[in-house]
Amino acid sequence: MNFLKILVRNLVHGPSTVPFPFGPAWTPERLRGRIVFKLDSCTACRACEQVCAPGAIRFDKTPDGLRFMMWHNTCVFCGLCEFYCPTDAIRQSDDWHMAHATADQFTMAIREVIPYVSCTACGAKALASSPNPVGITPPFTPEEIEQQRNLCPGCRKKALAERGAAS
Amino acid sequence: MSNFTIPVGPLHVALEEPMYFRLDVEGETVRHVDITAGHVHRGIEYLVTKRNVFQNIVLTERICSLCSNSHPQAYAMAIEQIAGLTVPPRAEYLRAIADEVKRVASHLFNVGILAHLVGFESLFMHVMEVREMMQDVKEGIFGNRMDIGANTIGGVRYDIDPERIGYLNEQLNKVEPAIAEIIEMYRTNGSILGRTRGVGVLSNAQAIDCGCVGPVARASGINYDVRVKAPYTAYDRLDVQVHTLPDGDVWSRAMVRLAEARTAVDLIRQCLRALPEGPTTATTERPPIPVGEAIGKCEAPRGELIYYVRMTDSPRPERVKWRVPSFMNWDALGFMLKDAKISDVAIIVNSIDPCISCTER
Repeated sequence: MNFLKILVRNLVHGPSTVPFPFGPAWTPERLRGRIVFKLDSCTACRACEQVCAPGAIRFDKTPDGLRFMMWHNTCVFCGLCEFYCPTDAIRQSDDWHMAHATADQFTMAIREVIPYVSCTACGAKALASSPNPVGITPPFTPEEIEQQRNLCPGCRKKALAERGAAS
Repeated sequence: MSNFTIPVGPLHVALEEPMYFRLDVEGETVRHVDITAGHVHRGIEYLVTKRNVFQNIVLTERICSLCSNSHPQAYAMAIEQIAGLTVPPRAEYLRAIADEVKRVASHLFNVGILAHLVGFESLFMHVMEVREMMQDVKEGIFGNRMDIGANTIGGVRYDIDPERIGYLNEQLNKVEPAIAEIIEMYRTNGSILGRTRGVGVLSNAQAIDCGCVGPVARASGINYDVRVKAPYTAYDRLDVQVHTLPDGDVWSRAMVRLAEARTAVDLIRQCLRALPEGPTTATTERPPIPVGEAIGKCEAPRGELIYYVRMTDSPRPERVKWRVPSFMNWDALGFMLKDAKISDVAIIVNSIDPCISCTER
C-alpha cells in the first residue's frame, strides 16, 4: 500500500499549513496586492482609467486640479494600470491585508489632486503633472521634470524643442 | 423494480458545478438523462461588448478560474491578428510557460476531486498539496494564485529573471516526482480502480459524434491536440507529446490528465532551456486596433478553446464569441451516464472536468 509511505512522510514533515494569523504568511515579492499611487510621477495621461476593467480608477476635474480617485474595494488586482503607466506612478504593492470594517468602506480609496499652477513661462493655468517620458532621449533629469511640471502644455513643447529632443 | 425521476443539481453536494440533470432511473440504473443549462448565466458576452479591447483582457480572464490563462490568450491572439501585431519570440515562450503552469494545476485539481468523489479523502488532500506547489509558482512568478494576468495585447505582462527560473526549476523538481507517485497510485490503487475502471465509457465513435475535445476526446482514442494540430505561441518549436488511451472510461480520462500534467512539466523545462532574449511585448503602448474580425484558438486544460472577435471603428469589440471545450464535452454525458449506476453519476460528471462558468458565461 503505497499511500502508507505518504502518510508516514507527512507525519515526519508535520503540517503543510501556516499558523496565520498567529504567525507570518508567505508573501511573494511579486504578489499583486493593494494599489499604491505616487502623485509626483503621474503624467495625467489617464491610461490607467481607460484600461481599468472594473472602473475602479476615475479622474475628475475639480476647482483645484485633476483629482485621481481609486476604490480599493472595486479593484480586481489585474495590474493593467501598472503595466500601461508610463512613469510607474501607479503600481501594485505586495500588501494583501485588505480586510476592514464596513464602516471604513468609504475610506478604502485613494484620493489625490494634481494641482493647477500658473505656467512659469506664460502664466496660463496648467496642470502640475509630471512630463511624459515616452520617446524622450536623453531621458529627463530630475531638474527638468520639476521645470516641465510648472509649464503649460504649449510651453512644455517649446522647452522640448529647444532641448533638441524628438517629439 | 420501480422507476423514478431524480433531480441532481443545480446545487448538489457531489457536483462541483451548478448543472441540472434530470435522471430517469430504473432501480439503481440511469436510463435517461436530461441536461438543463443556464443556472449561472452572467451575460459576459454582452459585457465584453461594453468594455474596450484592453479591459476585456481582464474580463475574459475572469470567465473561468481554471482556464484563466487560455481565455485571455485566445482573445489576445485574435486581437493581435486583427491589429497585425507580431508577438516577440520571448513572449511566445513565456506564454507557453504560463499555459503549462495552469495546465498542471488544473489537471491535478480535477484528478484530486476524483479521489474526493471516490471517498479517498487523504489522497484528495495529497493531490491538492502537490497542486499547491504549482499554486506557489503562480503566486511567486505571476503574483496571483488563479488569475495570473500573464497576457496582454501583443505579448506578456511578466518576465522571468535567472532567480525566478531557478525557483521555477526547483518547484518543478519537486512536482515531477510527486506527479509520478500520484500516477502510480491511480494506476494501482484498488479503491480508485474499482470506482473508475469501466465506468462512464465513451466509445471512440461516440466521442467523434459529440465532437469531444481535450482529455475527454484523447481518453477515447482521438489524437487531437491544438498544440500539435494548429501550433500557437512557441508550441511549433516544442516537442509536445500527446497522450491517448483507448478505453474512454473515467479512469482513462484521469490517466490522460495525469500524463498531460507530467508532459506539461517537461514542456515548461523545454521552454526554460530555449527561452530567447528580447522584448516581451510587441509594443509598450496601447496599440491601435483597426476594423476587422479574427479567430484565435488554443488548447485550454479542458480542450480546444475558440475565440471569434469582430472590431468596428469603436474601441469596444462589436462581437466576441467563444466556444468552450466543456460545451462540446457535456453532450457526451448523455452517452456516459446511460446505464450507469446512480452512485457513479457524480464521478462521471466530474470526469469531463465540466466548467459551467465558461459554458454558460
